[in-house]
Amino acid sequence: MPSRPRMRILPLVVAATALAAAGSLVLAITRTQEPLVVAGFCLLALVASALRSAHTQRQVELVSVVLAAVYVVAGPAAAVVVAAAGSFAQARAPLIKRIFNSAQRVLSAAGAAVVYTALGGPVGDEVFHRVPDAMIAITAATFALLVVNAVLVAMVLVLERGRHAVAEFLRHVVRTTAAPLLGYGLLGLSMAVIWLGGLNIFAAFLILGPLVVARWALSQYEAERRAQASALRAFIQLIEVKDLYTRGHSERVSEGVGMLGRHLKLSEDRQNALEHAGLLHDVGKVGVPTSIIQKPGRLDDSEMDAIRLHPARGVELIGNIPFLEEVKSAVLHHHEKYDGTGYPAGLNGTNIPYFARIIGIVDAFDCLTSTRSYRPARGVEETLAILEQDKYSHFDPQLVDAFVRVIRANGWHAAAVDQPAPDETVQFSIDHDDLSLGKGGGASGSAAGPR
Amino acid sequence: MMSSMDIDRFGTRGPGSGLIILFAGAALGLAAFLVTLRHGITEWSFAITFGILIAIGEMVQFSVDRDRNRAPIATSAALGYAMLRGPALGIPPELAQIITVVGFATILGVVPRAIAGLRWDIVVSTRRVLSVACAAAAFSALIPDDHSWDRTWGTSLPVVLAMLAGVLTAGLVDALIGAGQVTERLNKPFPAALRDELVVMGRIGMAMGVGGVLLAASTSLVGLWAPPLVVVPLLLTQFAFRRFASAQRTYRTTVRSMARSTEIAGFSSPGQNARTASLAVAIGNDLGLTPARMEALEYAALLSGVGQLALADPSPGGASLLRSREERQQAAEIGASIIERSGVLDHVAEIVRHSNDPYRHGRANNSDIPVESGIVNVALAYEQLVGEGNGQTPGKAMESIGLGIGAEYDPVVVESLRRVVGRGFRF
Repeated sequence: MPSRPRMRILPLVVAATALAAAGSLVLAITRTQEPLVVAGFCLLALVASALRSAHTQRQVELVSVVLAAVYVVAGPAAAVVVAAAGSFAQARAPLIKRIFNSAQRVLSAAGAAVVYTALGGPVGDEVFHRVPDAMIAITAATFALLVVNAVLVAMVLVLERGRHAVAEFLRHVVRTTAAPLLGYGLLGLSMAVIWLGGLNIFAAFLILGPLVVARWALSQYEAERRAQASALRAFIQLIEVKDLYTRGHSERVSEGVGMLGRHLKLSEDRQNALEHAGLLHDVGKVGVPTSIIQKPGRLDDSEMDAIRLHPARGVELIGNIPFLEEVKSAVLHHHEKYDGTGYPAGLNGTNIPYFARIIGIVDAFDCLTSTRSYRPARGVEETLAILEQDKYSHFDPQLVDAFVRVIRANGWHAAAVDQPAPDETVQFSIDHDDLSLGKGGGASGSAAGPR
Repeated sequence: MMSSMDIDRFGTRGPGSGLIILFAGAALGLAAFLVTLRHGITEWSFAITFGILIAIGEMVQFSVDRDRNRAPIATSAALGYAMLRGPALGIPPELAQIITVVGFATILGVVPRAIAGLRWDIVVSTRRVLSVACAAAAFSALIPDDHSWDRTWGTSLPVVLAMLAGVLTAGLVDALIGAGQVTERLNKPFPAALRDELVVMGRIGMAMGVGGVLLAASTSLVGLWAPPLVVVPLLLTQFAFRRFASAQRTYRTTVRSMARSTEIAGFSSPGQNARTASLAVAIGNDLGLTPARMEALEYAALLSGVGQLALADPSPGGASLLRSREERQQAAEIGASIIERSGVLDHVAEIVRHSNDPYRHGRANNSDIPVESGIVNVALAYEQLVGEGNGQTPGKAMESIGLGIGAEYDPVVVESLRRVVGRGFRF
């Protein structure tokens, strides 16, 4: 949590930044020549800033190409002016943020201008004879721009949200954008070359065209990914259409394993894979005859065998979707138990795939905390106690401890409201995930508890 | 199992046009090679640099938008090499040399793929060489060899306009050949196929073409320093479309896996959904639907049976023809409402909803119902009659479907089915 004094410093810091930016802007304007060329670049910077994609918020890229070109065509001072002009097109935000963003862009450009001048980067037609010098100077300048930008943003983030936000920013934003941005510097140099080669402002079309198309493709990529996520959810609803009481179970398990995965600090890829596995762990149930799923009372051995097939059926169903291999192994083994008495392979201990162990815990937890036709939902604390009791026989003890911590810290808002209340008159079915039942219905263990 | 699901490429790719393209490419390449042997290669360093770029681009090719194989880096590099001028080059490469260098580099790039067992398609690669040759011819017809960029507006603008004309020529030639091939393979009407090709050309084609212009212009100005300068848009195009392609694949396999749930639950026989979809796609192609509608049609045909999951017991053999109409319509309605809940497959849901409506009570009076529903309806019926294990001959099945024209089935669709079956369609 941000402390009060820090928040009070924030406006002062922004004001100081803005003042410094205004100073360097005035200095830059006095040193700028060729007003027509600079005006053309200002226009381009405005257009490039405005071409902001709705999906990816990477508006920096187009502007930094234009900006890099200015250093070479019209000189470092002009670049500061263009940066200031480009900052007029900004996303809607509180005034203080917009002021800071503008100031930050001007100061970053000024930092880069100092570096470009210090390295003796060529300006104007000179570039045709000194291409390698220009490449070095523009790369260094872009790097300086990045550093100044990162330092300024980090400073404000510390004041506004605390240190962890800075670590987050450095890890996610700076690391992923640094390499492409250095490449954009070189592309800006190429734009400058074509500009000076006689094409003037039309050079921009050649540069921005492919970038805009690539951005379109990236936005399509995001759209396809969202479509796939929605299709998966529809898929799950399709599977759950059979059974009123387990409705929403898969989504909740996915959410639960997601919480645990974040606690375990999985990489982004594996986090996504884990959530997918949680969502899909029961898809194979579609292959279990409805008569067994909805059968009242306990199941005999042959019916239990039919239930035991569902993990393999699930893998059969999702086998062709290009997920990480871990997703499939998790679906296949989510009913294994730590002591080796589970199915389908009877694996024990850490031989059970990691994701399968995670899903096993959340699966049991969600089952116990939701209503079944033959019993009401259990409370969260009561269920956590059951998990802790069973943690050496059924589950990976360390993961159970982690899960208990996560739930205690973040709470659990499951057991959806739209579930029907337990009703003795309904033709009911036994949930195969239910720990509170003996051998017939699902797992055995101390979870059987009072009924 | 999956091979039967892979209905993107159900059409048999006969020797036909592919062979002609290969032959034309080989003849052109050989002629160019002989001319180049006599004249010798000018500006070796440029030939080698661009050759390497092209070969690398071919090596990292991928397929996007169904079956289209793409190599953005190779295309841009080849177009760039085709349109070089001074001052950086003393003697720009002549047409024969361009074809020789691009041809050799293409082969160099494809061979490692073939050895590594990756997907490759020599016909598409040859198409690239042919269209680049057209670009080079168009460009050199407009701009003489000794024309050089001299940093004035008056000389540089014509060069760039000529470059754009060259790139456009290449795009048009490739679109024409591509549309011809689609017409041949999938029996899609030529104008519809050409329209689809041109739409694609406006996107990835534009990026590749402008990339080529960029490469040519900056290389002409600063020589071989240029390729590293413009590598960013080339890589970005490659990267963005590759990711797009892989997300597309994931999405498609997800929908297909979803469709197989009815088979695993015993509501339909193995491969039934895939067979129905392959027929629906064939009819859709015959009617010249746009790619977006084709995609929705395919998904709708695949998912048309999912509503059955809500019904109590599977019917034997999955023959939904045996169910009563009310039951089928109810299942279609349930299926549609589930599909709708995904929020992204609305059009698919609409098709599924009406896929069991008889024509007379549905589309005949209500133009809001999409023709795709009629296609799925007919495809389902035909699959029931001819599909695996049901064993009627196509002729017999056409006869019984013919009885339902106008009442049960959409006449336009049945006519199209007749053409598709007449061309020898097999599941």
